[in-house]
Amino acid sequence: MPLLASPQLQPEIDPPKGGAGGLETAAEVRQNTENSMDPESSAEVSPVSDDEYAQLQRRLILATLAVSAFAVAITALVFDFHIASSLLVGAICGVLYLRLLARSVGKLGKGSKSVSKIQLLVPVLLVLVVSRLPQLELLPALLGFMLYKPAMILQVLFDS
Amino acid sequence: MDSITTAASVVAAGLAVGLGAIGPGIGQGTAAGGAVEGIARQPEAEGKIRGTLLLSFAFMESLTIYGLVVALVLLFANPFAG
Repeated sequence: MPLLASPQLQPEIDPPKGGAGGLETAAEVRQNTENSMDPESSAEVSPVSDDEYAQLQRRLILATLAVSAFAVAITALVFDFHIASSLLVGAICGVLYLRLLARSVGKLGKGSKSVSKIQLLVPVLLVLVVSRLPQLELLPALLGFMLYKPAMILQVLFDS
Repeated sequence: MDSITTAASVVAAGLAVGLGAIGPGIGQGTAAGGAVEGIARQPEAEGKIRGTLLLSFAFMESLTIYGLVVALVLLFANPFAG
């Protein structure tokens, strides 16, 4: 008896979660979720968020351009103009790829339900063009295409 | 190019693209689903969620691009072609 009388084993005074109060809470949560899914209500907060996302895109593309310019300059100094031009072509394709990827991520949830794969055509076209043109080298072009990754890593490091 | 080398290159190109796209495909689907759910729950954080999603996609899709590049090199600039 003294054990049952202990305050830890006393029945809860608060109403159970599965009662009417819990149902009301679930209905409120559902209502809030529906309100947040409503395009009119989400349009109230979307300009700030869109602006933030646009700023991130701009910073990423500027960082990629800066890293690409640095890499092309170093390559032109250390190697020759031939390799630097291949690197430049790859870097331009990398920026284009990043722009297309950012656009498809921006459309996700608004216009489309999945991320489009149109940006994967950029490396395909790059390899095809580089393998056809004898003025361009394959390896520097691919390295130039991948220059958006160090720019992104730098961006993440600066943000954190 | 030798016929065996040609056949092996074509098979390897298909495997490179196919196997290389499985992991990033699953990861991108999971990430996109989580991001859309997060935006629906918390619309005020849409910009941050989209930015994180963009970075994640760029890093995940690079794995697909590696496989794609290997396949294209095997098909159009094969180093094993005599």
